[in-house]
Amino acid sequence: MKTEAYHNRYEYWLAGLLCLPGKKKIRLREMAGGAEGLYRMKQASLRKLPGLTERERAKLEQGQSAPEEELEKMRTYCIRQDIRLILHQDSEYPARLEQIYNPPYGLYCRGTLPPESALAVAVVGARACSAYGRQVAEQVGYHLAGHGVSVVSGMAAGIDGAGQRGALQAGGKSYGVLGCGVDICYPAGNRQLYEALPAQGGLISEYPPGTRPLACFFPQRNRIISGLSDVVLVVEAREKSGALITGDFALEQGKEVYAVPGRVGDALSQGTNRLIGQGAGIFLSWEDFQKELGLFPNFLESSVKIKKLSLEKSERLVYSCLDLSPKNLDELMAETGYSLTELMENLESLREKGCILEVYRNCYIRRAECK
Amino acid sequence: MYSIVSTAIVRGIRSVLVQVEADVCDGLPVFEMVGILSAEVKESRERVKAAIRNSGIRLSPKKVTVNFYPADVRKTGTGFDLPVALAVLAAHGRIPGEILEGILFAGEIGLNGELRPTAGILPMVLAAREAGKHTVCVPRGNVREAEIAKGITILPGDSLNQVLAMVEEFHRNPEKFSGVRSMEEISEPPGETLWDFSALHGQKVLKRACEIAAAGRHNMLMTGPPGAGKTMAARAVSAILPSLLEEEGLELAKIYSVSGLFGQREGRFWTRHFRSPHHTVSIAGLAGGGTVPKPGELSLAHKGVLFLDELTEFRREVLEVLRQPLEEGVIRLVRQSGAYEFPADVMLIGAMNPCNCGYYPDRNKCRCSSAVLERHFGKLSRPFLDRMDLTVEVKRPELSEITGGQTEESSESVRMRVQEVQEIQRRRFGDSGILYNSRIPVSHMKEFCPLDTGGEKLLQESFDRMDLSVRGYYRTLRVARTIADMDHADTIGRLHIMESLLYRSMGWKVWERE
Repeated sequence: MKTEAYHNRYEYWLAGLLCLPGKKKIRLREMAGGAEGLYRMKQASLRKLPGLTERERAKLEQGQSAPEEELEKMRTYCIRQDIRLILHQDSEYPARLEQIYNPPYGLYCRGTLPPESALAVAVVGARACSAYGRQVAEQVGYHLAGHGVSVVSGMAAGIDGAGQRGALQAGGKSYGVLGCGVDICYPAGNRQLYEALPAQGGLISEYPPGTRPLACFFPQRNRIISGLSDVVLVVEAREKSGALITGDFALEQGKEVYAVPGRVGDALSQGTNRLIGQGAGIFLSWEDFQKELGLFPNFLESSVKIKKLSLEKSERLVYSCLDLSPKNLDELMAETGYSLTELMENLESLREKGCILEVYRNCYIRRAECK
Repeated sequence: MYSIVSTAIVRGIRSVLVQVEADVCDGLPVFEMVGILSAEVKESRERVKAAIRNSGIRLSPKKVTVNFYPADVRKTGTGFDLPVALAVLAAHGRIPGEILEGILFAGEIGLNGELRPTAGILPMVLAAREAGKHTVCVPRGNVREAEIAKGITILPGDSLNQVLAMVEEFHRNPEKFSGVRSMEEISEPPGETLWDFSALHGQKVLKRACEIAAAGRHNMLMTGPPGAGKTMAARAVSAILPSLLEEEGLELAKIYSVSGLFGQREGRFWTRHFRSPHHTVSIAGLAGGGTVPKPGELSLAHKGVLFLDELTEFRREVLEVLRQPLEEGVIRLVRQSGAYEFPADVMLIGAMNPCNCGYYPDRNKCRCSSAVLERHFGKLSRPFLDRMDLTVEVKRPELSEITGGQTEESSESVRMRVQEVQEIQRRRFGDSGILYNSRIPVSHMKEFCPLDTGGEKLLQESFDRMDLSVRGYYRTLRVARTIADMDHADTIGRLHIMESLLYRSMGWKVWERE
């Protein structure tokens, strides 16, 4: 497992070159007889290499000008920071990625990679998501991880982070594929998740440590998310959403895609509804999804449900008025016909029983059934 | 010859008596003024010389020296023209010095000898009364404001000549001038405003919060999408506020007098003010300032409503300035020339959009990322939010609610209720100097805010659950006190606390948990 001791500084150099696609790196390395050979290759022989564009050659030459100390610096930095480099030729390299169209040459990883033996599901979706979407993602993540499924996502704000947070809450494994170096926490708001992930899964990136999160890296990062997983679940996505890119990659790579359906007018469900229209699987409930994935229900869930049903009549009335989009006190008063004080009391007891969620000041939604 | 005349200068909203002495003797015909004078007081010399000449009085060329004492106080303001002119005339022997005794003179004179209104007359009149003067002589334009101070004779001046005649007449026959009008005569009850409470349709929670805020003079923060009626609600609050009490009205009149804005209050002494400065306001504009500080918007809204629309657009340091006055009800400005204290007991109403686009938490319309939301809410500091007693979310009412002919309660009937609750408060506080629930000091909390067991339990639980600050705890209790008063309850119950907590603003982070 001690991969870091195994690779020399030239391997780090080759893996860190941003301009070359993974496949070309593999071929070049073979032709030059190792990364060191490629680093020391003369310009003349470099020109003779077939299949390199002018731009790529120029970048490669530029890369060669880096002094050896710098190469070594990167290697020691990775080792000191506990970042392992897993190369295409290593036995640890995920088999799932070998099959995709454009596999990354190397993966920088803090923690571990998703195990081959376990099912891996990507939970992805919009960054600016609704409280409902966040809840669904969190619960799916929670259940998946509870069944020993690896939850893969992009550690972004919104759905991605929520799914992973759910997985960690269940004490399971989750893997965050980043669009920047694994030593950078982006977005900064997910600091807690970022710090928890290495111990309960891993942080993965094809970009060398220190790479800033640039917008152009993120679509490419999505191919690794879908590549590392067997099934992709899109929870919420707008008409044009990065999550849909992940969905496209997944279809390209022959993975199964599921989407959470939504109401017709909801901007955040347009993308997912479209996916369903195009033939993606539909996420109807956790139980259904679980069957589709071939997982078996565990005991924990059934026991929680029974406790739920002991609501008083007035509480049930208030609860029945709530749904998954936030409602404020005025709307609830109009619907239930209760006065402010009556409503307050019922909301307070429902809150104590954990049946509702206050998503914004005095705006409530019903807590989704499971968990 | 020597003469002396009394006048006064304004410091903050107080006034200090100043004597103007003049000496006329043989020598080169120069006119000298001494006694730490600011620029506008020095200019007084030119105005006085021209005014005397244009009033048809010829003075023989002699050396004139005018001194102001106490000599160690800086003299500011334009009210010195009249006393300087009278002192010079008396020193020249044109009028007998003894007819000026016991009278305080103040007022600006034009080059034609006409008396013009001056800022700060009311505090001067009050200071004169305290110092035992029996009469004041002020420009006619300032008479109404001077009349607020009772128990002193007021001589209205039109021009220098008229003042000379009047003062002589007064000396001979003082009874002729002693008519004093009562407060009722000089002010009408507050009239109807353009903004009526019935303009708020539906929005029960908002209306309830407005009523609580008005009853206990609590601060209120409204968040909501653009055009949902936040500004209208703030105006409506000012429409349901009961009239000022007499001591409140006097204090407010002093502030407006000092600012030279007395005309705004003319005839409306009982009305509570509604000030809504634009969000580009500077620190000095809001808090008061200048080398000799003048009251800012905060003090002009004293005992009334200070409405800050688009709260997140205000410069942060401007908002932070409000922190101390919101707690204490006064603002203390310290300048090189000394410390000034202005009353600033306002009811703060803020309005803001919940995010940059204004539609959060409606995620169908709002695409603001959590970082943007955080930055938006981050514009208000936690200590500032802590001081907002009632936070309400305003949602855009449905069109059917606006056009559907439901009649809403009018300002009039809400105001009656508010007035009643305020009287309950005053009865409770007695002569402790407290007028409203929002001003109950922490030391009197136990005495004025007794809790029943249910209320106490809920408050203690919520203290941890909602992560309240100690200030937040006490403010919750004060609001609950008002809610209980509206219920005519002596002790604060569980429901009162629950409702009060409903309006408490917590850190925004709670809502967008990432």
